[in-house]
Amino acid sequence: MASASLDHMLALTIFIASLLIFIAFFTQSMQTAIEYQQHNSMSTKTSDLLDTVLLNPGLPMYWGQNDTEPVGFGLQDPEFNEYSLSSFSPLRLSVGTQPSVHYAAKNAYYNNFTAGSGGCLLTPIDDGNTKSVSYQLVAELLGINGTYGFQLTLTPTVDIEIEKTSTGSPLQFSVNAYGSGFVLANANVTYSLIVVNQDGNQYPSWSIISSKTSTDAAGSLQLSFPGINGETRSYALVVYSYLYGLKGMGYYVHVPASFTKTVVPIVDSFQNHAIRLAHSDTVGAVTTFPVSELSYNTSYAIVTEEYTLRQVNLDPTNATAKITNDLNISKTYKTLTLPANNPGILIVAYKDTLSGQVGIELVPWGLGSLAFPVSLGGNSKGYDWVTTDIRQVTIGGIAYQATLNLWRIEGHGGSS
Amino acid sequence: MIRTIEVLLVIMILSGAFIAASYFAVLPSPREVSPINLRRLSFTTLQMLDSNYDLSKATFETDDSYTWTRLQIALSASLPANVLYNLTVYDIDDSSGSELYHYVTSISNAESLGETTDVSAYTVASSNVTFNVTPQKIGEGTGGTLYILNCSDANGWWITGYTAYSLAQDLYDLLSPYFVKTVMIQNTSQLATILSGSPISGETLQNAVIINTCGEAVPIPSSYCTTPYSQNNYAYYSWYLGQKVNSYNWTWASIVGYPFFYVSNTDAFSSGQNNWGIYGMQQTGGGGSIAFLRGLDSQTYSTSGTAVTDSKTRQATLSQAALEACNYYGLYPSQTQTSTRALSSAIQATYHLSIGVNVLDPVSSYYPGTLYTHGTTTITGSFLALGLTRTPDVRMTALGLLSYYHPRVYASEYTATNTSRMVVLQLGLAGGS
Repeated sequence: MASASLDHMLALTIFIASLLIFIAFFTQSMQTAIEYQQHNSMSTKTSDLLDTVLLNPGLPMYWGQNDTEPVGFGLQDPEFNEYSLSSFSPLRLSVGTQPSVHYAAKNAYYNNFTAGSGGCLLTPIDDGNTKSVSYQLVAELLGINGTYGFQLTLTPTVDIEIEKTSTGSPLQFSVNAYGSGFVLANANVTYSLIVVNQDGNQYPSWSIISSKTSTDAAGSLQLSFPGINGETRSYALVVYSYLYGLKGMGYYVHVPASFTKTVVPIVDSFQNHAIRLAHSDTVGAVTTFPVSELSYNTSYAIVTEEYTLRQVNLDPTNATAKITNDLNISKTYKTLTLPANNPGILIVAYKDTLSGQVGIELVPWGLGSLAFPVSLGGNSKGYDWVTTDIRQVTIGGIAYQATLNLWRIEGHGGSS
Repeated sequence: MIRTIEVLLVIMILSGAFIAASYFAVLPSPREVSPINLRRLSFTTLQMLDSNYDLSKATFETDDSYTWTRLQIALSASLPANVLYNLTVYDIDDSSGSELYHYVTSISNAESLGETTDVSAYTVASSNVTFNVTPQKIGEGTGGTLYILNCSDANGWWITGYTAYSLAQDLYDLLSPYFVKTVMIQNTSQLATILSGSPISGETLQNAVIINTCGEAVPIPSSYCTTPYSQNNYAYYSWYLGQKVNSYNWTWASIVGYPFFYVSNTDAFSSGQNNWGIYGMQQTGGGGSIAFLRGLDSQTYSTSGTAVTDSKTRQATLSQAALEACNYYGLYPSQTQTSTRALSSAIQATYHLSIGVNVLDPVSSYYPGTLYTHGTTTITGSFLALGLTRTPDVRMTALGLLSYYHPRVYASEYTATNTSRMVVLQLGLAGGS
């Protein structure tokens, strides 16, 4: 009897112990499988979400050219189909790639779109009239607020690096074109050098030198402009490189270091396609002394099918004007109206009326005009599984890669 | 003891179950857990490469190694560095009856694409499939130049809602195939160049067509913003233009409203406005069109005479010639148009004009849209006047010119063999399995 009880007890103990061990084994496998399944479904969600953003124009369809918030989010160009994105909608995003800028005249903060010095555009985060589209709003419109976090990035596929290699005259540049996975070898290149004329005219003018060439096997090329002093002159070089449908652009702007004043372009209204040109001393930290006055001259250029810049009619109101840094003297800004539906580059040449120094600024009207990158979204730090998907898109004819990073927020406390 | 043995048997069964479950329930490799959607990446890459139909062209030029080397560079540059690819072209041909797809060629950046790959197919059509027409060139051999006034330093009037640039671009798209050379006059300096008798880019000046996209305003070069051209609010300039139209046998097209009612130069008239608040313009008034017609008719300069239009509103319909041109050229503006600046029939006798073609049927001795020719045996200048109300429909201008010159269009031969190919792009990820 005693041995039967002992046998029973021993068997039960071994059975329970082994059961627990096997439950642990199976649970581990099942947990791993469930986690894999969740990650896999998140990957599908990322792909679906990215297509949702890229394959619908949003609501209203032309919200990129409105000042109000959209009620549906999408970046597709309403006049095209497939993966062609609107030039204007990305400009309305509240991007976090650069610190926001305070503009005292409107007591408002602005997003800073730029891809290097000499080319920028400030868009209002909320100036009372025009509102940027925030990460929070996009998450709500996509129906993932509180469930998923994301970061949407639009990056030009072709990176064109321009470096000035000369001192004095002739002006020389080294240009390198890189794709995302390989150099852009033997690619066609069209370039335009915009040189601000140094003359006694009240408002500065410029000359454009354009030509075609191609990159070498390493994706490089050298450009030389005889008779132009690279240090004392102000100029902007705009380079387009293209191979099949793969098109990229880059720019280089030079203003003598001694000339520190500039003209800052600020979007007044997307709906009215109005841009305010403000004196640099009135944007960010305000400086009213010493008094500075800039006289500027503008022109709007669109890119032709041959990748040259064609200057088109611009509303003459304030196309040529003066701005100062002291409101007591005259206006610190002037407002221009740009063409409604044609993405392009606003060329602004400016001159200090006292010193006679001249400078130049390129202003993109449309994201692809100066191949600016954009990034909208939150920070995935602390979340242990971030899925990524990628698409090839075009914005204003320029090839971009749209990347979406997605992570789950709901039911996740983070891992760091 | 027997129970312990039974439990050990149970443990063996559970172990067997666990081993069997672990063997069959194979978890995917970490790469496969949340992969990049290679199918969509592949598809968007093909679309991007074909955005200018370059991929379609290359697909039919598989024997051209230069083309394919460049395609491979573009493909490598457009994909992330860790993505492997294999692009294969198949000919689609069902004539043999056995196989539909026939391998043509392929390019790849790796021998193997790994275990995880995905693929997209993209069908491209040869240019042979596209139905093309080759238009006859207007004035070939004797001129054939189309000038479109797209002056950046001149404002438009009665082109409400459009910029002169957008109108110019539309006109370029509509009409440039029918001319030997189309020249966009980008600024008034270039206009001064052709007025002085010099071509801008080697084109033929004689017998050219000039379309003024500024509507009721006419661009005026700064060098003409002085005496004698400034007489009578620049009506003299219109007279001078009329003379040039006569001497070069130009066809001057006014796309909307009252012709030669304003002159515009944003530099010269920066502080002046057209009485309607548009700066950079000067109102010439009705004398402008009188002066132009006098210049065209080689009469002495004057602005006196009966106004060319009574500015009454009239409903006009497309003429039979215009309707035929609509079908022939595939242009379909509204058949009914509103005219507020129809020209009086009296100008024909006063300025020795003949009807070249009526784009719109006359309404009680007023001509809402007509191309007039000057001269009897030899034509010395023509004038297309579309006295329609704003906003202009540039298809009417194109229709007017095409109705008059009537260039033929030749349909290209349609070939149906070797017309379609399929491009298959297979992508994989480098590194690991």
